[in-house]
Amino acid sequence: MKAISELNLPEDVRYTDDHEWSKKNGDVVRMGVSDYAQDQLGDIVFVELPEVGSSFDKGDEFGTVESVKAVSELYMPIGGEVTAINEALADEPELVNSDPYNGGWMIEIKASDPAELEAMKSKADYLEMLKG
Amino acid sequence: MQTTVKRTPLNSWHRSQGANMANFGGYDMPLWYSSVKDEHLAVLNGAGVFDTSHMAGVTVAGSGAADLLQYCFTNDLDACMGRSKKPLSPGRCVYGAFLDENGQTIDDAIVFYVAADSYMVVVNAGMGGAVADHLRHNLGGRDATVTDLSDQLGKMDIQGPAAAKILGGVLADPKAVFTGIPYFSFKGHFDPASPLADAVRLDDGTPILLSRTGYTGEFGFEIFLAPDKIQRLWERLLEAGRSYDIKPCGLAARDSLRAGAVLPLSHQDIGHWPFINHPWPFALPFTADQTGFTKDFIGRTALEKQTDFSFTHAFVGKDLRKISAGENSRVIDADGQTIGTVLTCATDMGIGLHDGDIFSVASPDKPEGFKAKGLCCGFVKVDRKLSVGQNVDIADNRRKITVSIVDDVRPHRTARKPMADML
Repeated sequence: MKAISELNLPEDVRYTDDHEWSKKNGDVVRMGVSDYAQDQLGDIVFVELPEVGSSFDKGDEFGTVESVKAVSELYMPIGGEVTAINEALADEPELVNSDPYNGGWMIEIKASDPAELEAMKSKADYLEMLKG
Repeated sequence: MQTTVKRTPLNSWHRSQGANMANFGGYDMPLWYSSVKDEHLAVLNGAGVFDTSHMAGVTVAGSGAADLLQYCFTNDLDACMGRSKKPLSPGRCVYGAFLDENGQTIDDAIVFYVAADSYMVVVNAGMGGAVADHLRHNLGGRDATVTDLSDQLGKMDIQGPAAAKILGGVLADPKAVFTGIPYFSFKGHFDPASPLADAVRLDDGTPILLSRTGYTGEFGFEIFLAPDKIQRLWERLLEAGRSYDIKPCGLAARDSLRAGAVLPLSHQDIGHWPFINHPWPFALPFTADQTGFTKDFIGRTALEKQTDFSFTHAFVGKDLRKISAGENSRVIDADGQTIGTVLTCATDMGIGLHDGDIFSVASPDKPEGFKAKGLCCGFVKVDRKLSVGQNVDIADNRRKITVSIVDDVRPHRTARKPMADML
Protein backbone atom coordinates (compact mmCIF):
# COMPACT_ATOMS: atom_id res chain seq x y z
CA MET A 1 0.00 0.00 0.00
CA LYS A 2 1.33 3.45 -0.87
CA ALA A 3 1.99 5.95 1.87
CA ILE A 4 0.02 9.17 1.32
CA SER A 5 3.29 10.94 0.47
CA GLU A 6 3.89 8.41 -2.34
CA LEU A 7 0.55 9.03 -4.07
CA ASN A 8 0.51 10.53 -7.52
CA LEU A 9 -2.04 13.35 -7.22
CA PRO A 10 -1.79 15.74 -10.16
CA GLU A 11 -2.57 19.43 -9.60
CA ASP A 12 -4.56 19.75 -12.82
CA VAL A 13 -7.42 17.35 -11.98
CA ARG A 14 -10.27 17.69 -9.49
CA TYR A 15 -11.21 14.95 -7.01
CA THR A 16 -14.27 13.55 -5.22
CA ASP A 17 -14.68 12.04 -1.77
CA ASP A 18 -15.25 8.71 -3.56
CA HIS A 19 -11.79 8.96 -5.18
CA GLU A 20 -12.82 9.70 -8.75
CA TRP A 21 -11.08 12.45 -10.67
CA SER A 22 -12.29 14.80 -13.42
CA LYS A 23 -10.40 17.03 -15.80
CA LYS A 24 -11.51 19.40 -18.51
CA ASN A 25 -10.35 18.17 -21.90
CA GLY A 26 -11.42 20.69 -24.52
CA ASP A 27 -15.22 20.66 -24.71
CA VAL A 28 -15.57 17.52 -22.63
CA VAL A 29 -14.68 16.39 -19.14
CA ARG A 30 -12.62 13.22 -18.75
CA MET A 31 -12.85 11.10 -15.60
CA GLY A 32 -11.35 8.10 -13.86
CA VAL A 33 -10.25 6.95 -10.41
CA SER A 34 -7.39 8.36 -8.35
CA ASP A 35 -4.04 6.77 -7.61
CA TYR A 36 -5.29 6.26 -4.05
CA ALA A 37 -8.34 4.35 -5.32
CA GLN A 38 -6.37 2.06 -7.63
CA ASP A 39 -3.84 1.36 -4.87
CA GLN A 40 -6.61 0.44 -2.41
CA LEU A 41 -8.44 -1.74 -4.94
CA GLY A 42 -5.39 -3.75 -5.94
CA ASP A 43 -5.13 -5.40 -9.37
CA ILE A 44 -7.98 -4.18 -11.53
CA VAL A 45 -9.15 -7.00 -13.76
CA PHE A 46 -12.33 -5.63 -15.33
CA VAL A 47 -13.94 -2.25 -15.88
CA GLU A 48 -17.63 -2.03 -16.76
CA LEU A 49 -18.46 1.26 -18.48
CA PRO A 50 -21.73 2.79 -19.73
CA GLU A 51 -22.83 3.18 -23.34
CA VAL A 52 -21.87 6.31 -25.21
CA GLY A 53 -24.93 8.57 -25.23
CA SER A 54 -26.22 7.64 -21.79
CA SER A 55 -26.82 10.45 -19.32
CA PHE A 56 -26.19 10.59 -15.60
CA ASP A 57 -26.63 13.03 -12.76
CA LYS A 58 -23.86 13.85 -10.37
CA GLY A 59 -23.51 10.99 -7.88
CA ASP A 60 -25.13 8.38 -10.14
CA GLU A 61 -23.41 5.03 -10.53
CA PHE A 62 -21.97 4.89 -14.05
CA GLY A 63 -20.07 1.62 -13.93
CA THR A 64 -18.04 -0.79 -11.85
CA VAL A 65 -14.40 -1.48 -11.41
CA GLU A 66 -13.55 -5.03 -10.50
CA SER A 67 -10.40 -5.95 -8.64
CA VAL A 68 -9.34 -9.42 -7.61
CA LYS A 69 -10.62 -8.47 -4.17
CA ALA A 70 -14.02 -6.93 -4.87
CA VAL A 71 -16.35 -5.14 -7.24
CA SER A 72 -16.69 -1.40 -6.59
CA GLU A 73 -19.12 1.13 -7.99
CA LEU A 74 -18.03 4.17 -9.97
CA TYR A 75 -19.94 7.37 -9.25
CA MET A 76 -20.33 10.40 -11.50
CA PRO A 77 -18.25 13.26 -10.10
CA ILE A 78 -20.45 15.60 -12.15
CA GLY A 79 -23.55 15.13 -14.29
CA GLY A 80 -23.63 14.91 -18.08
CA GLU A 81 -23.90 12.84 -21.23
CA VAL A 82 -21.25 10.24 -22.03
CA THR A 83 -19.47 11.14 -25.26
CA ALA A 84 -16.70 8.53 -25.18
CA ILE A 85 -15.46 5.57 -23.17
CA ASN A 86 -11.90 4.28 -22.95
CA GLU A 87 -12.12 1.21 -25.18
CA ALA A 88 -8.54 0.22 -24.28
CA LEU A 89 -9.67 -0.82 -20.80
CA ALA A 90 -11.56 -3.79 -22.24
CA ASP A 91 -8.26 -5.52 -23.00
CA GLU A 92 -6.01 -3.72 -20.57
CA PRO A 93 -7.90 -2.94 -17.38
CA GLU A 94 -4.53 -2.84 -15.62
CA LEU A 95 -4.00 0.61 -17.19
CA VAL A 96 -6.14 1.90 -14.32
CA ASN A 97 -3.43 0.67 -11.94
CA SER A 98 -0.40 1.67 -13.93
CA ASP A 99 -1.57 5.00 -15.35
CA PRO A 100 -4.75 6.15 -13.59
CA TYR A 101 -4.83 9.70 -15.00
CA ASN A 102 -3.81 9.08 -18.60
CA GLY A 103 -4.03 5.62 -20.15
CA GLY A 104 -6.45 4.55 -17.41
CA TRP A 105 -9.10 7.25 -17.98
CA MET A 106 -12.63 5.82 -18.06
CA ILE A 107 -15.23 8.08 -19.68
CA GLU A 108 -15.62 11.50 -21.25
CA ILE A 109 -18.81 13.47 -20.77
CA LYS A 110 -20.44 16.65 -21.92
CA ALA A 111 -21.01 18.34 -18.57
CA SER A 112 -24.56 19.48 -17.88
CA ASP A 113 -23.34 22.03 -15.33
CA PRO A 114 -19.67 23.07 -15.61
CA ALA A 115 -19.89 24.62 -12.13
CA GLU A 116 -20.00 21.11 -10.70
CA LEU A 117 -16.41 20.58 -11.84
CA GLU A 118 -15.29 23.67 -9.96
CA ALA A 119 -17.07 22.40 -6.84
CA MET A 120 -14.92 19.26 -6.77
CA LYS A 121 -11.93 19.01 -4.46
CA SER A 122 -8.56 20.49 -5.36
CA LYS A 123 -5.44 18.37 -4.85
CA ALA A 124 -4.82 20.17 -1.53
CA ASP A 125 -8.35 19.51 -0.26
CA TYR A 126 -8.29 15.88 -1.43
CA LEU A 127 -4.92 15.30 0.22
CA GLU A 128 -6.28 16.87 3.40
CA MET A 129 -9.20 14.43 3.32
CA LEU A 130 -6.91 11.42 2.77
CA LYS A 131 -4.80 12.47 5.73
CA GLY A 132 -8.02 12.41 7.76
CA MET B 1 -14.11 -12.07 22.88
CA GLN B 2 -11.32 -10.93 20.60
CA THR B 3 -10.45 -7.43 21.69
CA THR B 4 -6.99 -6.93 20.25
CA VAL B 5 -5.76 -7.86 16.82
CA LYS B 6 -2.91 -10.36 17.05
CA ARG B 7 0.29 -10.24 15.05
CA THR B 8 2.30 -13.09 13.60
CA PRO B 9 6.11 -13.08 13.93
CA LEU B 10 6.30 -11.82 10.31
CA ASN B 11 3.98 -8.85 10.91
CA SER B 12 6.67 -6.17 10.83
CA TRP B 13 8.15 -7.73 7.69
CA HIS B 14 4.77 -7.50 5.93
CA ARG B 15 4.33 -3.91 7.01
CA SER B 16 7.86 -2.96 5.99
CA GLN B 17 7.04 -4.28 2.49
CA GLY B 18 3.97 -2.05 2.25
CA ALA B 19 1.55 -4.98 2.23
CA ASN B 20 -2.15 -4.21 2.18
CA MET B 21 -3.16 -5.53 5.60
CA ALA B 22 -6.48 -6.63 7.07
CA ASN B 23 -7.89 -8.45 10.07
CA PHE B 24 -8.39 -12.14 9.29
CA GLY B 25 -9.52 -14.46 12.07
CA GLY B 26 -8.29 -11.97 14.67
CA TYR B 27 -4.85 -11.56 13.07
CA ASP B 28 -3.38 -8.61 11.21
CA MET B 29 -2.53 -10.35 7.94
CA PRO B 30 -1.30 -9.33 4.48
CA LEU B 31 -3.98 -9.38 1.75
CA TRP B 32 -1.42 -8.71 -0.95
CA TYR B 33 1.94 -7.02 -1.38
CA SER B 34 1.89 -5.34 -4.77
CA SER B 35 -0.25 -7.46 -7.10
CA VAL B 36 -2.67 -10.26 -6.24
CA LYS B 37 -2.60 -11.43 -9.83
CA ASP B 38 1.20 -11.71 -9.91
CA GLU B 39 1.16 -13.55 -6.58
CA HIS B 40 -1.49 -16.02 -7.81
CA LEU B 41 0.44 -16.62 -11.05
CA ALA B 42 3.76 -17.01 -9.21
CA VAL B 43 2.34 -20.05 -7.40
CA LEU B 44 1.18 -21.59 -10.70
CA ASN B 45 4.42 -20.87 -12.57
CA GLY B 46 7.17 -20.90 -9.91
CA ALA B 47 6.58 -20.50 -6.21
CA GLY B 48 5.08 -18.32 -3.53
CA VAL B 49 5.49 -18.13 0.23
CA PHE B 50 2.60 -17.53 2.60
CA ASP B 51 2.67 -16.48 6.25
CA THR B 52 0.34 -18.97 7.92
CA SER B 53 1.37 -18.47 11.54
CA HIS B 54 -2.20 -17.38 12.26
CA MET B 55 -3.21 -21.05 12.03
CA ALA B 56 -3.16 -23.02 15.24
CA GLY B 57 -1.65 -26.35 16.24
CA VAL B 58 -3.21 -28.52 18.93
CA THR B 59 -1.34 -31.59 20.18
CA VAL B 60 -3.15 -34.68 21.43
CA ALA B 61 -0.99 -37.18 23.32
CA GLY B 62 -1.54 -40.30 25.39
CA SER B 63 -2.77 -43.84 25.04
CA GLY B 64 -6.30 -42.55 24.40
CA ALA B 65 -5.30 -39.92 21.81
CA ALA B 66 -6.14 -42.03 18.77
CA ASP B 67 -9.51 -43.04 20.16
CA LEU B 68 -10.37 -39.45 21.12
CA LEU B 69 -9.58 -38.21 17.62
CA GLN B 70 -11.41 -41.12 16.08
CA TYR B 71 -14.50 -40.05 18.05
CA CYS B 72 -14.21 -36.29 17.38
CA PHE B 73 -12.76 -36.11 13.84
CA THR B 74 -14.82 -36.95 10.76
CA ASN B 75 -12.24 -38.96 8.85
CA ASP B 76 -11.65 -42.57 9.86
CA LEU B 77 -8.06 -42.75 11.11
CA ASP B 78 -8.24 -46.52 10.74
CA ALA B 79 -9.26 -46.31 7.09
CA CYS B 80 -8.30 -43.10 5.33
CA MET B 81 -5.12 -43.57 3.32
CA GLY B 82 -5.32 -44.04 -0.41
CA ARG B 83 -7.85 -45.96 -2.46
CA SER B 84 -7.45 -49.08 -0.36
CA LYS B 85 -8.33 -47.06 2.77
CA LYS B 86 -5.38 -48.08 4.91
CA PRO B 87 -5.00 -46.89 8.49
CA LEU B 88 -3.17 -43.61 9.03
CA SER B 89 0.48 -44.39 9.79
CA PRO B 90 3.10 -42.27 11.57
CA GLY B 91 4.38 -39.56 9.23
CA ARG B 92 1.07 -39.28 7.41
CA CYS B 93 -1.68 -36.69 7.78
CA VAL B 94 -5.31 -36.51 6.77
CA TYR B 95 -7.99 -33.87 6.17
CA GLY B 96 -11.35 -33.83 7.94
CA ALA B 97 -13.52 -31.79 10.28
CA PHE B 98 -14.69 -31.51 13.87
CA LEU B 99 -18.46 -31.48 14.12
CA ASP B 100 -20.89 -30.79 16.92
CA GLU B 101 -23.80 -33.08 17.86
CA ASN B 102 -25.89 -31.44 15.13
CA GLY B 103 -23.41 -32.47 12.46
CA GLN B 104 -22.38 -28.85 11.95
CA THR B 105 -18.79 -27.80 11.50
CA ILE B 106 -16.75 -26.44 14.40
CA ASP B 107 -13.68 -26.27 12.17
CA ASP B 108 -11.86 -28.25 9.53
CA ALA B 109 -8.39 -29.59 10.21
CA ILE B 110 -5.49 -31.76 9.20
CA VAL B 111 -4.57 -34.44 11.71
CA PHE B 112 -0.86 -35.32 11.75
CA TYR B 113 0.09 -38.74 13.13
CA VAL B 114 3.45 -37.78 14.68
CA ALA B 115 4.34 -40.99 16.53
CA ALA B 116 2.65 -43.66 18.63
CA ASP B 117 0.15 -41.93 20.95
CA SER B 118 1.12 -38.52 19.59
CA TYR B 119 -0.89 -36.41 17.16
CA MET B 120 -0.96 -32.79 16.04
CA VAL B 121 -4.14 -31.18 14.79
CA VAL B 122 -3.77 -28.06 12.63
CA VAL B 123 -6.83 -25.82 12.59
CA ASN B 124 -7.78 -22.37 11.34
CA ALA B 125 -6.91 -18.92 12.68
CA GLY B 126 -8.20 -18.35 16.18
CA MET B 127 -9.67 -21.87 16.42
CA GLY B 128 -6.99 -23.57 18.57
CA GLY B 129 -8.82 -22.80 21.80
CA ALA B 130 -12.24 -23.90 20.58
CA VAL B 131 -11.00 -27.17 19.10
CA ALA B 132 -8.85 -27.93 22.16
CA ASP B 133 -11.89 -27.29 24.41
CA HIS B 134 -14.04 -29.51 22.23
CA LEU B 135 -11.51 -32.35 22.47
CA ARG B 136 -11.15 -31.97 26.25
CA HIS B 137 -14.91 -31.80 26.68
CA ASN B 138 -15.25 -35.15 24.92
CA LEU B 139 -12.35 -36.91 26.68
CA GLY B 140 -14.67 -39.28 28.52
CA GLY B 141 -12.40 -41.62 30.44
CA ARG B 142 -9.69 -41.58 27.78
CA ASP B 143 -6.06 -40.99 28.69
CA ALA B 144 -5.16 -38.04 26.48
CA THR B 145 -3.57 -34.65 27.02
CA VAL B 146 -4.74 -31.84 24.75
CA THR B 147 -2.42 -28.84 24.39
CA ASP B 148 -3.30 -25.71 22.45
CA LEU B 149 -0.17 -24.35 20.75
CA SER B 150 -1.90 -21.19 19.43
CA ASP B 151 0.67 -18.42 18.88
CA GLN B 152 3.52 -20.67 19.99
CA LEU B 153 4.35 -22.01 16.53
CA GLY B 154 5.77 -20.35 13.48
CA LYS B 155 4.21 -21.57 10.24
CA MET B 156 4.80 -20.68 6.61
CA ASP B 157 3.92 -22.40 3.36
CA ILE B 158 5.96 -22.60 0.18
CA GLN B 159 3.72 -23.52 -2.74
CA GLY B 160 4.29 -23.90 -6.45
CA PRO B 161 6.09 -26.22 -8.88
CA ALA B 162 9.53 -24.84 -7.90
CA ALA B 163 8.93 -25.24 -4.15
CA ALA B 164 11.22 -28.24 -3.63
CA LYS B 165 13.99 -26.82 -5.82
CA ILE B 166 13.98 -23.66 -3.74
CA LEU B 167 13.52 -25.30 -0.34
CA GLY B 168 16.31 -27.77 -1.13
CA GLY B 169 18.73 -24.86 -1.14
CA VAL B 170 18.22 -24.16 2.56
CA LEU B 171 17.96 -27.73 3.88
CA ALA B 172 20.89 -29.53 5.51
CA ASP B 173 20.19 -32.77 3.59
CA PRO B 174 17.64 -32.15 0.82
CA LYS B 175 18.20 -35.53 -0.82
CA ALA B 176 17.22 -37.44 2.30
CA VAL B 177 14.32 -35.12 3.06
CA PHE B 178 12.86 -35.34 -0.45
CA THR B 179 13.01 -39.12 -0.55
CA GLY B 180 9.76 -40.77 0.47
CA ILE B 181 7.65 -37.69 1.13
CA PRO B 182 4.41 -38.25 -0.82
CA TYR B 183 1.35 -35.98 -0.81
CA PHE B 184 -0.13 -35.72 2.70
CA SER B 185 2.97 -36.98 4.49
CA PHE B 186 5.45 -35.11 6.69
CA LYS B 187 8.85 -35.41 8.32
CA GLY B 188 10.77 -33.83 11.17
CA HIS B 189 9.63 -31.80 14.12
CA PHE B 190 9.79 -28.17 15.26
CA ASP B 191 10.65 -29.19 18.84
CA PRO B 192 14.44 -29.65 19.16
CA ALA B 193 13.77 -32.18 21.94
CA SER B 194 11.70 -34.44 19.68
CA PRO B 195 13.40 -37.63 18.45
CA LEU B 196 12.02 -36.68 15.01
CA ALA B 197 13.83 -33.33 14.94
CA ASP B 198 16.89 -34.73 13.14
CA ALA B 199 14.82 -35.85 10.16
CA VAL B 200 14.57 -32.33 8.72
CA ARG B 201 16.97 -29.54 9.58
CA LEU B 202 17.72 -26.31 7.83
CA ASP B 203 21.38 -25.86 6.94
CA ASP B 204 21.77 -23.68 10.04
CA GLY B 205 20.60 -26.58 12.22
CA THR B 206 17.05 -25.35 12.87
CA PRO B 207 14.67 -28.32 13.14
CA ILE B 208 11.41 -28.04 11.19
CA LEU B 209 8.31 -30.10 10.64
CA LEU B 210 7.92 -30.29 6.87
CA SER B 211 4.58 -31.38 5.47
CA ARG B 212 3.70 -32.12 1.82
CA THR B 213 0.40 -30.25 2.11
CA GLY B 214 -0.98 -26.80 1.41
CA TYR B 215 -4.02 -24.72 0.55
CA THR B 216 -3.42 -23.80 -3.07
CA GLY B 217 -3.91 -27.04 -5.00
CA GLU B 218 -0.31 -26.74 -6.14
CA PHE B 219 2.80 -28.72 -5.25
CA GLY B 220 4.48 -27.53 -2.08
CA PHE B 221 4.97 -27.70 1.62
CA GLU B 222 3.75 -26.38 4.92
CA ILE B 223 6.59 -25.67 7.34
CA PHE B 224 6.29 -25.54 11.14
CA LEU B 225 9.14 -24.13 13.19
CA ALA B 226 9.98 -22.03 16.23
CA PRO B 227 8.49 -18.52 15.89
CA ASP B 228 11.87 -16.84 16.34
CA LYS B 229 13.29 -18.77 13.35
CA ILE B 230 10.61 -17.96 10.81
CA GLN B 231 11.75 -14.59 9.53
CA ARG B 232 15.22 -15.87 8.68
CA LEU B 233 13.73 -18.84 6.79
CA TRP B 234 11.22 -16.58 5.03
CA GLU B 235 13.94 -14.22 3.84
CA ARG B 236 16.27 -17.03 2.85
CA LEU B 237 13.56 -18.71 0.75
CA LEU B 238 12.79 -15.44 -1.00
CA GLU B 239 16.49 -15.10 -1.76
CA ALA B 240 16.91 -18.75 -2.81
CA GLY B 241 13.82 -18.52 -5.01
CA ARG B 242 14.76 -15.39 -6.88
CA SER B 243 15.59 -17.19 -10.13
CA TYR B 244 12.18 -18.90 -9.99
CA ASP B 245 10.40 -15.55 -9.51
CA ILE B 246 9.23 -16.53 -6.05
CA LYS B 247 6.83 -14.05 -4.47
CA PRO B 248 5.55 -13.40 -0.98
CA CYS B 249 1.80 -13.97 -1.26
CA GLY B 250 -1.06 -12.62 0.78
CA LEU B 251 -4.44 -13.98 1.75
CA ALA B 252 -6.13 -12.71 -1.43
CA ALA B 253 -3.99 -14.94 -3.66
CA ARG B 254 -4.41 -17.78 -1.15
CA ASP B 255 -8.17 -17.37 -1.49
CA SER B 256 -8.24 -17.29 -5.29
CA LEU B 257 -5.83 -20.24 -5.53
CA ARG B 258 -7.85 -22.41 -3.16
CA ALA B 259 -11.14 -21.49 -4.84
CA GLY B 260 -9.73 -22.66 -8.19
CA ALA B 261 -8.55 -25.84 -6.46
CA VAL B 262 -12.08 -26.47 -5.06
CA LEU B 263 -10.91 -26.30 -1.44
CA PRO B 264 -13.31 -25.00 1.21
CA LEU B 265 -12.73 -22.05 3.51
CA SER B 266 -13.84 -22.97 7.02
CA HIS B 267 -16.66 -20.80 8.41
CA GLN B 268 -17.55 -19.73 4.87
CA ASP B 269 -17.98 -22.84 2.70
CA ILE B 270 -18.49 -25.18 5.63
CA GLY B 271 -20.08 -23.96 8.85
CA HIS B 272 -23.28 -23.95 10.83
CA TRP B 273 -25.07 -26.44 8.66
CA PRO B 274 -24.66 -30.21 8.27
CA PHE B 275 -21.24 -31.25 6.96
CA ILE B 276 -22.50 -33.46 4.14
CA ASN B 277 -23.56 -33.25 0.48
CA HIS B 278 -20.52 -31.15 -0.36
CA PRO B 279 -17.58 -31.55 -2.76
CA TRP B 280 -15.41 -33.08 0.01
CA PRO B 281 -16.89 -36.55 0.65
CA PHE B 282 -13.34 -37.84 1.30
CA ALA B 283 -13.49 -35.96 4.62
CA LEU B 284 -16.29 -38.25 5.84
CA PRO B 285 -15.90 -41.93 6.80
CA PHE B 286 -18.14 -43.27 4.06
CA THR B 287 -18.41 -46.99 3.45
CA ALA B 288 -17.29 -48.12 0.00
CA ASP B 289 -20.87 -47.97 -1.31
CA GLN B 290 -21.30 -44.44 0.15
CA THR B 291 -24.47 -45.48 1.99
CA GLY B 292 -23.19 -45.47 5.57
CA PHE B 293 -20.29 -44.62 7.82
CA THR B 294 -17.44 -46.88 8.88
CA LYS B 295 -17.12 -45.55 12.44
CA ASP B 296 -18.92 -43.68 15.17
CA PHE B 297 -18.14 -39.98 15.58
CA ILE B 298 -19.69 -36.83 16.99
CA GLY B 299 -22.27 -35.57 14.52
CA ARG B 300 -22.88 -38.96 12.93
CA THR B 301 -26.42 -39.40 14.22
CA ALA B 302 -27.44 -35.96 12.99
CA LEU B 303 -25.95 -36.57 9.55
CA GLU B 304 -27.74 -39.90 9.30
CA LYS B 305 -31.11 -38.71 10.57
CA GLN B 306 -31.47 -35.28 9.07
CA THR B 307 -33.37 -35.08 5.84
CA ASP B 308 -33.57 -31.37 5.01
CA PHE B 309 -30.01 -31.21 3.81
CA SER B 310 -28.64 -28.41 1.72
CA PHE B 311 -26.22 -29.18 -1.12
CA THR B 312 -22.92 -27.43 -1.69
CA HIS B 313 -21.58 -27.36 -5.24
CA ALA B 314 -18.56 -25.86 -6.95
CA PHE B 315 -19.21 -23.55 -9.90
CA VAL B 316 -17.28 -21.76 -12.57
CA GLY B 317 -18.34 -18.64 -14.49
CA LYS B 318 -18.02 -17.69 -18.15
CA ASP B 319 -15.53 -14.87 -17.58
CA LEU B 320 -13.77 -13.25 -14.67
CA ARG B 321 -16.72 -11.16 -13.44
CA LYS B 322 -17.82 -12.07 -9.96
CA ILE B 323 -20.50 -11.12 -7.48
CA SER B 324 -20.34 -10.46 -3.75
CA ALA B 325 -20.90 -13.75 -1.93
CA GLY B 326 -22.70 -14.00 1.38
CA GLU B 327 -26.16 -13.64 2.85
CA ASN B 328 -27.35 -11.10 0.31
CA SER B 329 -26.37 -13.20 -2.67
CA ARG B 330 -28.79 -15.47 -4.50
CA VAL B 331 -28.65 -18.58 -6.63
CA ILE B 332 -31.43 -18.63 -9.22
CA ASP B 333 -32.48 -21.67 -11.21
CA ALA B 334 -33.78 -21.82 -14.79
CA ASP B 335 -37.36 -21.20 -13.58
CA GLY B 336 -36.34 -17.98 -11.87
CA GLN B 337 -36.64 -19.48 -8.41
CA THR B 338 -34.17 -18.54 -5.69
CA ILE B 339 -32.68 -21.81 -4.49
CA GLY B 340 -29.76 -20.76 -2.30
CA THR B 341 -26.85 -18.47 -1.62
CA VAL B 342 -23.27 -18.06 -2.83
CA LEU B 343 -20.65 -19.06 -0.24
CA THR B 344 -17.50 -18.11 -2.13
CA CYS B 345 -17.05 -16.16 -5.35
CA ALA B 346 -13.46 -15.46 -6.35
CA THR B 347 -11.52 -15.08 -9.59
CA ASP B 348 -8.84 -17.57 -10.51
CA MET B 349 -6.63 -15.32 -12.65
CA GLY B 350 -4.54 -18.24 -13.90
CA ILE B 351 -7.25 -19.87 -16.00
CA GLY B 352 -9.44 -19.07 -18.96
CA LEU B 353 -11.85 -20.57 -21.46
CA HIS B 354 -10.87 -21.68 -24.95
CA ASP B 355 -13.54 -23.31 -27.14
CA GLY B 356 -15.53 -24.21 -24.05
CA ASP B 357 -12.64 -25.87 -22.20
CA ILE B 358 -10.80 -24.46 -19.21
CA PHE B 359 -7.03 -24.16 -19.52
CA SER B 360 -4.50 -22.92 -16.99
CA VAL B 361 -1.33 -20.95 -17.63
CA ALA B 362 0.38 -24.14 -16.44
CA SER B 363 -1.53 -26.49 -18.78
CA PRO B 364 0.97 -28.39 -20.93
CA ASP B 365 -1.68 -28.66 -23.68
CA LYS B 366 -2.79 -25.06 -23.65
CA PRO B 367 -3.62 -23.69 -27.11
CA GLU B 368 -1.03 -21.56 -28.85
CA GLY B 369 -1.37 -17.92 -27.87
CA PHE B 370 -3.64 -18.81 -24.94
CA LYS B 371 -4.07 -15.90 -22.57
CA ALA B 372 -5.61 -16.64 -19.18
CA LYS B 373 -8.17 -13.91 -18.70
CA GLY B 374 -9.42 -15.34 -15.40
CA LEU B 375 -12.62 -17.13 -14.47
CA CYS B 376 -14.91 -16.55 -11.55
CA CYS B 377 -15.40 -19.63 -9.39
CA GLY B 378 -16.51 -20.68 -5.95
CA PHE B 379 -19.27 -22.51 -4.12
CA VAL B 380 -23.05 -22.28 -3.89
CA LYS B 381 -25.24 -23.76 -1.18
CA VAL B 382 -28.65 -24.70 -2.54
CA ASP B 383 -31.79 -26.49 -1.38
CA ARG B 384 -31.60 -29.21 -4.02
CA LYS B 385 -29.01 -31.39 -5.70
CA LEU B 386 -27.65 -29.92 -8.91
CA SER B 387 -25.81 -31.85 -11.58
CA VAL B 388 -22.45 -31.16 -13.17
CA GLY B 389 -22.92 -29.08 -16.30
CA GLN B 390 -26.15 -27.50 -15.11
CA ASN B 391 -26.30 -23.70 -15.41
CA VAL B 392 -27.63 -21.44 -12.68
CA ASP B 393 -27.54 -17.68 -12.22
CA ILE B 394 -25.85 -16.14 -9.22
CA ALA B 395 -26.67 -12.58 -8.24
CA ASP B 396 -25.95 -9.84 -5.77
CA ASN B 397 -27.57 -6.43 -5.62
CA ARG B 398 -25.48 -5.26 -8.54
CA ARG B 399 -25.30 -7.97 -11.17
CA LYS B 400 -26.42 -11.40 -12.18
CA ILE B 401 -24.11 -13.85 -13.93
CA THR B 402 -24.58 -17.34 -15.33
CA VAL B 403 -22.33 -20.04 -13.94
CA SER B 404 -21.99 -23.80 -14.46
CA ILE B 405 -21.96 -26.41 -11.74
CA VAL B 406 -18.67 -28.30 -11.97
CA ASP B 407 -16.72 -30.94 -10.10
CA ASP B 408 -13.38 -29.25 -10.73
CA VAL B 409 -12.10 -25.83 -11.75
CA ARG B 410 -8.38 -25.21 -12.38
CA PRO B 411 -6.90 -27.99 -14.54
CA HIS B 412 -3.38 -29.40 -14.32
CA ARG B 413 -2.81 -28.66 -10.66
CA THR B 414 0.50 -29.92 -9.31
CA ALA B 415 -0.25 -30.80 -5.65
CA ARG B 416 -0.25 -34.54 -6.22
CA LYS B 417 2.69 -34.73 -8.63
CA PRO B 418 5.34 -37.30 -7.74
CA MET B 419 8.28 -35.79 -5.88
CA ALA B 420 10.70 -37.03 -8.54
CA ASP B 421 9.02 -34.81 -11.16
CA MET B 422 9.51 -31.70 -9.05
CA LEU B 423 13.24 -31.80 -8.22
